[in-house]
Amino acid sequence: MNRRSLIKNLVWLIGASAFAPSCLNSSNQKTIGLKNIALETDDQILISEICETLIPKTDTPGAKDLNLPEFVLKMLDETLPKSDQKNIILGLKDFKAFVLKKSGKSYTDLEPKEKEAILLELETKRNKPAAAEKPIPESPLSLFYSAIKSQTLFAYTTSQYFMTKVNIYELVPGRYKVHFPIKNLKTV
Amino acid sequence: MANLNIDSIKNRNFDAIVIGSGMSGGWSAKELTEKGLKTLVLERGRDVKHIKDYPTTNLYPWEFEHHGVLPQSVQEANPIVNRCYAFHEDAAHFFVKDHEHPYIQDKPFDWIRGYQVGGKSLLWARQTQRWSDFDFEGPARDGFAVDWPIRYKDLAPWYSYVEKFAGISGNKDGLAELPDGEFLPAFPLNDVEDYFSRHVKSQYKNRHVISARCAHLSKPNPIHLEQGRGQCQNRNLCQRGCPFGGYFSANSSTLPWAEKTGNLTLRPFSVVESILYDDQKGKAVGVRVVDSQTKETIEYFAKVIFVNAAAVNTNLILLNSKSKRFPNGFGNDSGVLGKYFAFHNYSAHISAEYDGFPDFTTDGRNPAGGGYIPRFRNVFHQEMDFLRGYASGFSAYRSVDHDYQGVGASLKQNLAKGKWGPWKVGSHMMGETIPKETNFLSLDPNQKDAWGVPLIKISVDYDNNDDLMKKDYLEQLSEMFTTAGFTNIQTSSNHQAPGLDIHEMGGARMGNDPKTSILNKWNQVHSAKNVFVTDGACMTSVSCQNPSLTFMAITARAADYAVSELKKGNI
Repeated sequence: MNRRSLIKNLVWLIGASAFAPSCLNSSNQKTIGLKNIALETDDQILISEICETLIPKTDTPGAKDLNLPEFVLKMLDETLPKSDQKNIILGLKDFKAFVLKKSGKSYTDLEPKEKEAILLELETKRNKPAAAEKPIPESPLSLFYSAIKSQTLFAYTTSQYFMTKVNIYELVPGRYKVHFPIKNLKTV
Repeated sequence: MANLNIDSIKNRNFDAIVIGSGMSGGWSAKELTEKGLKTLVLERGRDVKHIKDYPTTNLYPWEFEHHGVLPQSVQEANPIVNRCYAFHEDAAHFFVKDHEHPYIQDKPFDWIRGYQVGGKSLLWARQTQRWSDFDFEGPARDGFAVDWPIRYKDLAPWYSYVEKFAGISGNKDGLAELPDGEFLPAFPLNDVEDYFSRHVKSQYKNRHVISARCAHLSKPNPIHLEQGRGQCQNRNLCQRGCPFGGYFSANSSTLPWAEKTGNLTLRPFSVVESILYDDQKGKAVGVRVVDSQTKETIEYFAKVIFVNAAAVNTNLILLNSKSKRFPNGFGNDSGVLGKYFAFHNYSAHISAEYDGFPDFTTDGRNPAGGGYIPRFRNVFHQEMDFLRGYASGFSAYRSVDHDYQGVGASLKQNLAKGKWGPWKVGSHMMGETIPKETNFLSLDPNQKDAWGVPLIKISVDYDNNDDLMKKDYLEQLSEMFTTAGFTNIQTSSNHQAPGLDIHEMGGARMGNDPKTSILNKWNQVHSAKNVFVTDGACMTSVSCQNPSLTFMAITARAADYAVSELKKGNI
């Protein structure tokens, strides 16, 4: 990735946040301090882009609006066993190679539709071995993708936005009703 | 609460000392202080004040650093406590970490501990069922352990006494094997739990699925409001400590009550090293404490001592209390101290689905957890190829399926809106284990902890009776599920180590004969009548009910007796 596209993507990563100016002035780009997993700035940006492809901004906030990439990186760094982290690093390399082979570009340079197509292809590929007679051990690429996806979905569905605006979490229900008609519930 | 001046011997004298501040220690403290005894409660951990020291209690899931998941470093550093179902980011601060308090597993034993004021009463699963004579008469009828020196009639008024104060919700089910108590309104069974209850009743003459009885204030009485507690708000976040005092804990109930009497002195950070015995006086005179922070050794004195350190640590203290009179441990003339240790077998589960009631679900949360199936094996007479039996949990919930496939806007929509799935049902086994001489605790002769106290060695294992019982549980529940029309039935049997049930009991058992037991029918040490043991260590057998309610009743009864004996000058 050249410096120009790096900066472009970095701005994309942090959006119009107040951090932008200081980051742009720095040659060390904004990265999240990770303790256990070695993800350089461009790797972090790439993961952030995948998060946004999974949960894009529509008429409701997307992954970046909700700061999900930062949380996903933190979870990858702090809550996974070493062996998973190793596979993520290997899988990340394979992911980059896969994207380059498919499109001739890096993931961050792709249009949103192209990004979706790449992820969907990985997901379909991943679903196939399960149907095979003998379970095939998952490749690092597949493990990488499923780790990013599951962490992104966890981050989204446990975010304040999701739990207050989409599927409301009640800290204090104050009730337990049985024989409750499902038609009376607003959200499932 | 009194600020201690440990320099003065006068300030180290009390009427009573209670070792431990949890489920049973809290009751000792309440009863003894209410009856006018100046009481010192010793707690090895830190203080935890009701509400004030529940730092996570009002946090939303997204307010936790990892949204509830414990970091890998914490999980890896704590393989034992990490196996506990409640050890997550919201309550990890109430659990002992593995490295802080090592012990020796002669055989695998997951010892789950809560070293703080309130102990594990903050963390318990709050299930409260009485024993009946089918439980108390078990050892005598079936020829194991020794006969219990008490029967249901001895404990029944004390069950009532503690239930009224603690607040127990339940139905009067009229079952001889699970006596009714002083109940607040029960939490209801949901559609599928109720259907299963009716099905089981129609198919089996002595099997019942009832609303689980639990220590939640479904509708508080004045006595609960007076404690500063209020109605349970169905949060089901109990392990964090409840800001409403909706469930019973020592922190919310017995300890503040004891404090109000003005007779309570609570001393956290106090590791009890041993009980002091005076050969001249022929009785216990106090305890030796190591301050966990300063490592200073201090002696406290009292006329009566209640040992409520939780089963394993109570055994440890007694085993470590050696004197000329008791060279093998306190009150251990019989040689049975530490032996006949037992637990509950929680190693089997069964799950299934049900297609009925497609138009219904539940709303809110049920703190009782669902249904409870009292023991139905070997109750009225011995009928199986194994001894005793099991109780079973039973609960149902309406599942929601989400489509996690794909990416982008459609995925977002799918996450926002699920589809109703089938009802899911599940049960877990709660099996009685047989106390045996070969299941025992002992002191390691060489290794000591950071406070100079010997490490406890735990030698406890399953036996063939447990295997046979587990097989029967899975067969019977499968049959009951099948005939109920449940589908996709999955049985699972894990090999979780004893201890993970967190129902460890015995080692200082009650009995009529001083030659074969440590405690008499009043929980007094046979040979040192001013020492009472009323926590899990006192249990002669373990039956299959969740034990806390029985510890509470036994404690209140023993405290009443201790004070009357003290007044009479007998101890």
